[in-house]
Amino acid sequence: MFSACTPGKTANPGATREITDDAGRRVRIPATVDRVVSLAPNLTEIVFAVGAGNRLVGRTSYCDFPAEAKAVAEVGDTLHPSLERIIALKPQVVLVSTSSQLEVFTQQLQGQNIAVFVTDPHDLEGVFRSIGQIGEIAGVKDQANLLVQKLRERTNAVEQAVKQKPPVRVFYQVSGEPLYTAGHDAFVTDLMRRAGAASVTADVPSAWPKYSNESALAARPDAIILPSGGSMGEANSKVAEALRQSPAVLHGRVYRINDDHLARPGPRSVTGLEEMARALHPDAFGK
Amino acid sequence: MITSASSAVASPAQRNRVTLRKTLISCAVLAAALLLAIVLMSLLGSEQLPVRASLCALASFGTSTCGLSQDQFDILFQIRLPRILLAAAVGGSLATAGAGYQALLRNPLAEPYLLGISNGAAVGTMIALVFFGAIEWTRPVLAFAGALLATLAVYRLARGRAGATPERLILAGVIVTTFLSSVIVFVTVMMDATRIRSFTFWLLGDLSGTSKALLPVTVVITIAGALALTLYARSLNLLMLGERDAFDLGVEVGRVRIVVFLVASLLVGSSVAASGSVGYVGLVVPHLARLSLGSDNRISIPAAALGGALFVIVADTVARTIIAPRELPVGAITALIGAPLFIYLLRRA
Repeated sequence: MFSACTPGKTANPGATREITDDAGRRVRIPATVDRVVSLAPNLTEIVFAVGAGNRLVGRTSYCDFPAEAKAVAEVGDTLHPSLERIIALKPQVVLVSTSSQLEVFTQQLQGQNIAVFVTDPHDLEGVFRSIGQIGEIAGVKDQANLLVQKLRERTNAVEQAVKQKPPVRVFYQVSGEPLYTAGHDAFVTDLMRRAGAASVTADVPSAWPKYSNESALAARPDAIILPSGGSMGEANSKVAEALRQSPAVLHGRVYRINDDHLARPGPRSVTGLEEMARALHPDAFGK
Repeated sequence: MITSASSAVASPAQRNRVTLRKTLISCAVLAAALLLAIVLMSLLGSEQLPVRASLCALASFGTSTCGLSQDQFDILFQIRLPRILLAAAVGGSLATAGAGYQALLRNPLAEPYLLGISNGAAVGTMIALVFFGAIEWTRPVLAFAGALLATLAVYRLARGRAGATPERLILAGVIVTTFLSSVIVFVTVMMDATRIRSFTFWLLGDLSGTSKALLPVTVVITIAGALALTLYARSLNLLMLGERDAFDLGVEVGRVRIVVFLVASLLVGSSVAASGSVGYVGLVVPHLARLSLGSDNRISIPAAALGGALFVIVADTVARTIIAPRELPVGAITALIGAPLFIYLLRRA
């Protein structure tokens, strides 16, 4: 979790503190941070949600929420950010969502005295931790804690509502052709469990495995979740061929849920949790 | 092989008969092995099916369930068998095209993947997917066009004043391959993020998205293409002596070249449109065919067609079972087997 903050939080510009990130690195962060670059849409959402949006000076082309984010300068996309542009923006901290390409990146940015902070949440607890860390980095710890507290309350409400319900066997279709699903390490697998679902691929190793068509057919899921309609558009709005005869399709239990709520581990994940739970257990919510 | 001593004194007609018999025997053996592989590999998969009932259902050509549940029956006949047939068609196509290019260009290293022709077909398929996503038949058509253009580009680049030397041809192939690779990278970067993952998988060769509409087309093109190139095998044999000698012996060199280029491009185009770029099949399989059956194209081309089908069926079974229920792209398996074998063959040559 958070390692010791340097106690003397004075206005000394040279003062730093250390925060441990999800890659296990102890990252040196300036005592006051007012220039941040985010390299993932979920991190941009967190920065705005904790009320530090005015400190965001760079974002990726995928960062489209909240609407104010679009006014912030673009630095390329998550996989191909422009180092030059990032450096030109003079950020103190760059937030990244995975450890991909980190080595080259970190070295070059650290050469410019820019800290790289890695987040890699595998469950909702990890998202809450990311929110806390980013709040701490931006110096708005109280607001971040308040946000986490509210999100926890909503999460608990959902979990209480579905507690007595038998879990629904769900197939989570990331893409139909080729067939991709959410595996053991995917953040959304934890979200499904909390929503009263039993993902039929919850034990498949890795986060986003390419899945066997025949195993999907044999799994006979009772419901299918199609993340689509958000930034994914209509790309994933059709059920994979191997699942067309599944109980889920035969009983009309195919649910399209905004992919931005499910695929971005951020504040809106709890909205995704609520949407999934309401879709799977409508009677648990008194409607 | 048994006739090698007598063939020295045999008449041309006798020799032809011997060749025909050898072709028929080797093709019959390979066809039997292919049939066996289709049956055996359809018993393997990420889901365990009862062996006896599956064999019974296969023997009835799907007219009887033999006690298989509806799901098991669907897995066997809607998922596994179409995928195995597609693997056979893709393998047959690529190996036949490889054998054709190798004979025509008199270069044992000519291969659709290494010459950039698969990449040409891949660019064509991507254009079809980006601009005409919903219209499936545009994929093989544009893949064919892409393969043909890449073939012509390689051929033009390779032909110097001294003719196309093997080294020049491979260099031309490298140039076309890398150029088209950067076109592919450019197109993937321009596409939206959600589609990139499926494309990168497809680019490595993937048979999981077997399209019900395209499967019969791919199978028919494979069979027709393999027959067409086998019919031109005698001309290709003579061409291997050199274009001038072949011309003097009555081969219409220009026409043979056009037909082989067209047929091979069609084979590569239809297989890439269905499965992405499965590498090394066109290299490894014709080599093995020539090593074991001799360099007469009348034997090695049909043998390569059947052997290619066999090779990709086995490779894809590995790809879909080794980390089940997850899957690997079949191209990773063929390259894993193909690249070391290629080095071995290169050192032997």
